[in-house]
Amino acid sequence: MAIHINLHKTHRQYTEGKESVDVAGRTVGECLKDLIRQYPPLEKEVFGKNGKLSGIVEVYLNGATAYPDELAKPVKDGDTIQLVYFLAGG
Amino acid sequence: MIPEIGEAGQEKLKKAKVLVAGAGGLGSPICIYLAAAGVGTIRLVDQDTVDLSNLNRQVLHGQGDIQRPKVQSARDRLTSLNDTVTIEIHQQTISEESIDGLVESCDAIVDALDNISTRYMLNKAAITHQLPFFHGAVRGFEGRAMTIIPGRTPCLRCMYHGDVPKEKFPVIGVAPAVIGSIQSTEVIKYLIGTGDLLTDRMLIYDGMSMEFKEFKVSKNPQCDHCGEKMEK
Repeated sequence: MAIHINLHKTHRQYTEGKESVDVAGRTVGECLKDLIRQYPPLEKEVFGKNGKLSGIVEVYLNGATAYPDELAKPVKDGDTIQLVYFLAGG
Repeated sequence: MIPEIGEAGQEKLKKAKVLVAGAGGLGSPICIYLAAAGVGTIRLVDQDTVDLSNLNRQVLHGQGDIQRPKVQSARDRLTSLNDTVTIEIHQQTISEESIDGLVESCDAIVDALDNISTRYMLNKAAITHQLPFFHGAVRGFEGRAMTIIPGRTPCLRCMYHGDVPKEKFPVIGVAPAVIGSIQSTEVIKYLIGTGDLLTDRMLIYDGMSMEFKEFKVSKNPQCDHCGEKMEK
């Protein structure tokens, strides 16, 4: 069992085209760290300069928003984290 | 007559005044379908003039409108579609100074903007004035939409967790056509008082995979627009 991270298409260029990556961790933050351990170029896409989640990435846990403090949210095997790219055009 | 609307519903549409913020990719289908539905007054705000590069998606405007103010071009198009609808036009930027005047006497605010900072300004005005806010945004083949009812549902700012850098968003015209049509549907339902609104959930559309996904959205207690950190 693992936690699954579904990636936005913008991020798949860093995961050899994979739409979903299995990771390990006890929190959303640990899972994202494990994702970046597997695919280091994703770090600058997912996190800002201060180590916080990037303003242009949204995190949903099992189909629902995970704020506030998304990165501290506990996860369990079988959970799904969805990374969504922020859209602002019109 | 559509049974969900009826004569009473059509009267409600006729009496309504809707602010549409933006006469571009999203604003085009939104205005066209609101005017076609018989929404009595559309107050349209946009500071820009029509450019050739707009025409792949901004179907309110044509080649003959290049260099004209978008609001004028839009008014002509909408009036030719339905001359019983009043089109109020404002060629100006939306700012902290102008926002209260622009939303005054409106029944709803529709987001057809191309940047996030002005969206937050509209979001805050919607909460201040207790007006429904119909969010939409696009990029490439993708889009998203959510309806916000102040005091009852999460707002756009609830989702904020950091600044979004300014950038140009390339868009294929069918993406705002899909999202703008969804926003218009929501406005019509709200004004009539029928159906289930797209509240408490973000609808995300991907035209490339032709998928719609829905994510549950909760109120953020730390939101500085509608939560405990609300600026008075």
